[in-house]
Amino acid sequence: MKNNIFKIAFLIWAALWAWFIVRDLLVKDNIETYKVLAGRDLEGKRSYITGDRLYEFLKYCKNNMPEGARYKMTGLEDGSIDKRRAVYYLYPSLELNEPGYVLDAQNYILKKNDGA
Amino acid sequence: MESTILFIYILLAVLIGFNILRLVTFGKGLSFPESLAVSFGIGIGFISLQMLLYHFLNIKFDILAMIIPWAVLPLLNNLLFQKNKAPFNNLSKPSQPKDTRFKIFNICLWIGIIFEISYAFFRALIKPIESYDAVAIYAIKSKIFFLAKSIPADYFGAFTNMFPHPDYPLNIPLFQSFIYIALNSLNDQLVKVIFPLYFLAVVVMLYYAIRRFAGHTYSLVFTFVLASIPQFNAYAANAYLDLPLAYYSFASAIFLFEWLRERKSFALLALSAVMAGLAGWTKNEGLLYCVVSVLSMLVFFMFNFEKMKWRYVIGMVLYAAIIFLILAPWMYIRTRYHLVNTDVGAISLNPLHILRQSHRLGPIFYEFQKQIFGPKKWNIFWIAVLAAFALNFKKSFTGTLRYITIFLVFTVSGYIFIYLISPIDINFFLQKTWSRFLVQFLPIAVYWLAIILKKDVKE
Repeated sequence: MKNNIFKIAFLIWAALWAWFIVRDLLVKDNIETYKVLAGRDLEGKRSYITGDRLYEFLKYCKNNMPEGARYKMTGLEDGSIDKRRAVYYLYPSLELNEPGYVLDAQNYILKKNDGA
Repeated sequence: MESTILFIYILLAVLIGFNILRLVTFGKGLSFPESLAVSFGIGIGFISLQMLLYHFLNIKFDILAMIIPWAVLPLLNNLLFQKNKAPFNNLSKPSQPKDTRFKIFNICLWIGIIFEISYAFFRALIKPIESYDAVAIYAIKSKIFFLAKSIPADYFGAFTNMFPHPDYPLNIPLFQSFIYIALNSLNDQLVKVIFPLYFLAVVVMLYYAIRRFAGHTYSLVFTFVLASIPQFNAYAANAYLDLPLAYYSFASAIFLFEWLRERKSFALLALSAVMAGLAGWTKNEGLLYCVVSVLSMLVFFMFNFEKMKWRYVIGMVLYAAIIFLILAPWMYIRTRYHLVNTDVGAISLNPLHILRQSHRLGPIFYEFQKQIFGPKKWNIFWIAVLAAFALNFKKSFTGTLRYITIFLVFTVSGYIFIYLISPIDINFFLQKTWSRFLVQFLPIAVYWLAIILKKDVKE
């Protein structure tokens, strides 16, 4: 009896397992994402997951601020995943008081903060 | 080219872990695949501890300066344990003969397990680190350490508070920076390979742990069960630290249970303590597993009070001492720099406060049942656990199994306690954490299920 319950439970398990894989790949459309990612290099992948426009802007800021510059960022919600990724990519520049630069991530504008 | 270098340095970490394993187990060891799985985590843990030590000694993270000191280990092992080449008698080999029945079924299970492992590697390596905590808490720290080739002198004083959770231990961020230093580039895609490797290591350890009391097919079934749980596989790819913690807590638990069963070898206790210490060095929740392990030993003493032996007491003191030794440097830093959890803040342990928080039990159990009966993340695993517990209630608390049951009861109680004392909004906290906390003790629960169903299932 218990053996049969075990077998039935395992069959349910296997059926659900197969469905979850199909769901993960096809229903959630992850295959499309994987296809795009597979065709990109590391920079391209970072850009894809961050959003191409935002990533380009962050790269532009990084290239046009001195290393370790202080900045203030606007246009991204504090604590949002985009903000966290921006902080990560921009390091060693840091968001600190008396910033030398202002990054407007909504309008993609980098400004020198003359008042600093 | 980078992949080759990565492979070499991962192999070096395993080799370092392998030699530490031999030292901890007095020159004995485990069967080879299990040794590799255990050595992987030990290697990572001790390399990151070494990097923390270099911070105290003001030594830069130079790859040679980090590798060369470990060369003394193989020499030491050869010198100390030249004659002692035999592995643990009771741990070396699976005690059950390999059955040749169910060939097709076994092949299907193998295909399932290999698919899940490959899928974990694929999902981890297809994209760089991108998920929230992985970027905000861990990757940023490894980037800081990599660029500075050290933990900067003012890191704990000023730096760390600019980022969330300054109190989180540094095991994995430091090892990630070790990989970056080895590669000489911040490849936050390749570095993710350590997470599916942890996944693979847990799967291997589970298989061998079950093989000690069951046959090949039975072990494969439960190995497949663990590998195919969607949430567990997802956490092998997202660069969160819940799966590495699951690895350390599981390794610690199985060697502790093995000691509670055989009650002889100090080496088992030492190995369990090392893994418990490394669990605490991986995530704050790891401290819970340190406490639960010690409490489980106390329960063992209670049940065996009349047959008590001095070596049990010595064993427990040694156990706590090893955990303390591993955690001491990090605890020193936490205390010295007042590193506190930015979310949790100051926790009140006042019994009255805890009593006042008891209204939280409603949402807690509501979230528990949501996870238990929601198959998207767990298939029917938790339903099976509940059913097995209900049908085998008495058996759960007999023999060595009772210590595993008690271990799990303590663990869940510990999490409930954290939910009760935390000042965070309970619904938010539960939604963000409970499905992750479950990952942390999932392998132990699978192991428990395999034991409790063993006598019910004919192989």
